[in-house]
Amino acid sequence: MKDNYILEMQGITKRYDENIVLEDVNLFVRPGEIHALLGENGAGKSTLMNVLFGMPVIHNTGGFEGQVFLDGEKVDISSPNEAMQKGIGMVHQEFMLLPEFTITENIKLNREITTPNIVSRVLGKNLETLDMLAMANDARKALDAVGMGIDEYIQVAGLPIGYMQFIEIAREIDKTGIKLLVFDEPTAVLTESEADNLIKVMKKIAASGIAIILITHRLDEVIEAADSVTILRDGKLVANCETKDTSTVKLAELMVGRKGESVVNIERRKLKADKVALQVKDLHVDMAGEEVKGVDFTIYEGEIFGIGGLAGQGKIGIPNGLMGLYEATGEVSFFGKPIKLGDPKIPLSNGMAMVSEDRKGVGLMLDESIEDNIVFNAMQVKDEYLIKFPLFSLKDSSKIRKQADNMIEELDIRCTGPEQHTGTLSGGNQQKVCIAKALTLQPKFLFVSEPTRGIDIGAKRLVLNTLVRLSREEGITIMMVSSELQELRSIADRIAIVSKGEIVDILPPDAPDADFGLAMSGIKPDTHREVREEA
Amino acid sequence: MKKGWRNILVAALSILGVVCIVIGSINMPKRTSEEGLEIIQKLRVRSLLSAVGDGVVDSYIAIAKKNATAEVKAKGGSMSDIRKAVQDAEERVRLEYQDAETNYLDKDVTDVKSRLEEFDIALGKYADEKVKAEKEYRESHMAEAEALAEKKREEASAQGLEAPPEETITVDMSGFEPTDNMIALRVEADEVYKKLGLALMEIEPQLSKDALITLQQRVESILYHEERDFATLYDGYSAFSGTDVLDDVNKAKLIRYADDFITVGVALLIAALAIFFYESIVKAMGVPRLIISLFFVLLCVGALLFDLSLPVLLGNTVVRMGMNSIMVLAMFPGIQCGISLNLGLPIGLVAGLLGGLMAIEFEIPGIWGFAFALASGSAIAAVAGYFYAKLLNRLKGSEMSVTTYVGFSIVSLMSIAWLMLPFNSLKLRWPLGTGLRNTIGLDKSNFWRILDNFLAFNIGDFRVPTGLLLFMALCCFLVWLFSRSKTGIAMRAVGNNRRFAQATGVNVDKMRTIGTVLSTVLGAIGILVYSQSYGFMQLYTAPRQMGFVAASAILIGGASTSRAKISHVIIGTFLFQGVLTLGMPVANELVPGSTISETMRILISNGIILYALTKSGGDTRG
Repeated sequence: MKDNYILEMQGITKRYDENIVLEDVNLFVRPGEIHALLGENGAGKSTLMNVLFGMPVIHNTGGFEGQVFLDGEKVDISSPNEAMQKGIGMVHQEFMLLPEFTITENIKLNREITTPNIVSRVLGKNLETLDMLAMANDARKALDAVGMGIDEYIQVAGLPIGYMQFIEIAREIDKTGIKLLVFDEPTAVLTESEADNLIKVMKKIAASGIAIILITHRLDEVIEAADSVTILRDGKLVANCETKDTSTVKLAELMVGRKGESVVNIERRKLKADKVALQVKDLHVDMAGEEVKGVDFTIYEGEIFGIGGLAGQGKIGIPNGLMGLYEATGEVSFFGKPIKLGDPKIPLSNGMAMVSEDRKGVGLMLDESIEDNIVFNAMQVKDEYLIKFPLFSLKDSSKIRKQADNMIEELDIRCTGPEQHTGTLSGGNQQKVCIAKALTLQPKFLFVSEPTRGIDIGAKRLVLNTLVRLSREEGITIMMVSSELQELRSIADRIAIVSKGEIVDILPPDAPDADFGLAMSGIKPDTHREVREEA
Repeated sequence: MKKGWRNILVAALSILGVVCIVIGSINMPKRTSEEGLEIIQKLRVRSLLSAVGDGVVDSYIAIAKKNATAEVKAKGGSMSDIRKAVQDAEERVRLEYQDAETNYLDKDVTDVKSRLEEFDIALGKYADEKVKAEKEYRESHMAEAEALAEKKREEASAQGLEAPPEETITVDMSGFEPTDNMIALRVEADEVYKKLGLALMEIEPQLSKDALITLQQRVESILYHEERDFATLYDGYSAFSGTDVLDDVNKAKLIRYADDFITVGVALLIAALAIFFYESIVKAMGVPRLIISLFFVLLCVGALLFDLSLPVLLGNTVVRMGMNSIMVLAMFPGIQCGISLNLGLPIGLVAGLLGGLMAIEFEIPGIWGFAFALASGSAIAAVAGYFYAKLLNRLKGSEMSVTTYVGFSIVSLMSIAWLMLPFNSLKLRWPLGTGLRNTIGLDKSNFWRILDNFLAFNIGDFRVPTGLLLFMALCCFLVWLFSRSKTGIAMRAVGNNRRFAQATGVNVDKMRTIGTVLSTVLGAIGILVYSQSYGFMQLYTAPRQMGFVAASAILIGGASTSRAKISHVIIGTFLFQGVLTLGMPVANELVPGSTISETMRILISNGIILYALTKSGGDTRG
């Protein structure tokens, strides 16, 4: 049945050093179909596409194992340029358009139609005259194909985002001999009506015989647009099925799943939700790429409150907005006391502390010693670790050293001593220093944002166990934001799932996988319960 | 592979170094042993004899010339005939005695030898006495000479001339009279010379008493050397007589250059060590500091090889370090607060100069004048620095170019201002027309060397400018203390990671303002310290380059554009100034009369800044 597929990728395995990011993955796409490639962040979707396009990042790290067939023919694509020539196109998530050029110029960029002139006859092809009329005709055709009535001579700058997406698509379609078009999360930046429009256009393109790979993590989109679907999870192929045989709930289950063993095993407990620690109403945070558009929640004393969701949906904006790092509006009360947003000093001096997701950018002074990092907040906010004189105060080196030694022992920070610069520590140990810095403030409430990002498994376990211990033994209330749903489910008491800047659902950690999958896809519980009943 | 080659190189260098040191230290003690003394003695006698011989030949030539002239005159020849005859006579006599010198080698010179020894001792006693007496005279007349120089300077300024930047004051020695002691010793030496003359006449019968008397001065100039160590004597004698008298010239040369062998040997060993521990040294010191340190060591070795006085040069280095250190220190708060290298330092410099000018204008004397200059300069710098900081806070991220342009602009602006400011003191103004002078000489009536000379003392040739060093230490200590205060730590956090500081609610703009003001004030203090040591205040375009010099000094010390310590300030200033101070005389020995040293200064200071900029984007941890 080989001849039926336009693209076959067989047994693709890709390693970065010891780290396996793709393991024996197969992908089959038929001509003229929309094939969805579904998976969470980090499931391996991008790597698979990088393999397909022959990106340098693949070749520079030792290539890959497995075979790629295009139109039944074995191909060995070594550069994106080659992929383009073989008829594979890509519609990027970030638009690759020159804003100062017209639509026509953008569509025909580097593939201009030219006519020879006197100069070019002497000095070569690069100086030939552009045939604007022919180019505009081509552009018109491509624009019509994607259903855009817009004038082809308009400058790109200032067009709505949705239009730019269509121009990108038009550019790919205009390429002669295009057989396969990859859409990388095309709806992520579009409004709902624009997204609907896009899906219509995709169907139209597919009807003309061009195959489409739709990379996405939106389940409803898959059901609506795709003919078949391949689901990846943790670099492994989970399922390869026809859309008509499946449902959003099934897809959600497959996408989220139980990812192997949990990092930590914590005994469940019954939370007595009697005293409110933090109450947030209508929080909006203006953080680029992680915008929060009005969330309400209540966190009880002693609780570990998890916030999950896909990247770029706004979960990281919540702690950053509450801690005053980004512009935010909303009503916040902390143990009954109203907190003004916008100044980091206010939450810090009221007993909140934060371990930032951006360790190197916000969390640490990389050129300073561990001990100076650890006590900095306590010194500046609470005037601790200082020897005071009438007009000024000097740092209390011996007290600082004692605290640093304590923290190094308590959190098992692997270092040459408290004087080592944090910039020379490993990611896990840097994270421990960040936690030590927060703990030195002796907070009542701790925001922890992506605490396990980019650190090894041993450090992950230690960080998570530390959080649990702080909550159970020291009674610190914790809000933990993480992209790793598994982690949240293993230590949090309740988990809020954020999508498109809003909280979709607040779930107990033992809720079914499907509930999490659907929530992450932005499908509200009241609607998905109906969907489930149907299924 | 690479490691293998490196080890071979290290081994070769160390073997060579050890060999050099061994040769040197075997031969070094021979200088004072029998062998060394014998060499010197032989050379001395040889010098004497050749001097005597030359004297004899010269007197024969004189006689022959005289005879020839008389002869031609008698014949009634013209002037050109006389000239030709005289020339012929000289050539004839010279030819005749050309080989006469070798004869001395065969002669018995034991008597001459012992007489010579006696004369050498007697002469030495006299000469030492003379040096001592002259020194006393000089010291007692120093005040007079200074007053004279001062008067000249005043006269010059009254006439509107630029005062010559004279560093040393010379005492007029024309009034010097020999002391009684000197006369007695002189007489004694003359007696011994007469005995020596008798001994000489025995081996050179032609020698007349008159010839001996005319010869005396020449003999003395050959024999006497102020320094009487082996190397000086050897060089002095052998330059005069050649070394063919010695049995084994190479052996003598080994003894002569024993100290150089040791120096080179040590240098080679240092080089071998440096190569062997290359990685760890580079890691600990950073590439620029390593290069400059090696260069500095190289210059020290060069100075030793050229027989330059290292203590004097190092003493100068210490003074220059002291006078530049505060300006380099001014870079420190700038780097810490995140404006990176404060190349707008000229703002502080002109503020300091204004303070200094006011102190002279108001004729506030001595230490109070200096204190007033510091206070008023700092006050102006603080105000100017505040507005400068406002500017920098609006232009975060492009500080490097902003500070550079601000530095250039302020220098140009002040060049106009110097012409317009209403100063009236004649010491400051051009006597004709308006405006301030280019360089304003300081003197004892204001703050000339007020710090340098405070509690200063000498260790040998090494002069310790105690006050200057104390002031430098005080400033460094105060800045260090500030960097440990709550504000100082917050400021450092701003410079290190602005977002980190913001996340703790630190007011970033305020901290940057504090750092900038502090840097500018230190610049003002720095230029005053520099001026009092240099002896002149330089206006107009002089402050333009000083920011760059200070910036490269702290970078050489090991700082980066985002990270600095006080130790970087001190080490950097010492190395940078050391290379310049040592570089000039060594370069002059290598290429006489060149401006290599100045070229080097520009190369180093700009090159280092460029290097630091290439590093500033990436990993700056040292």
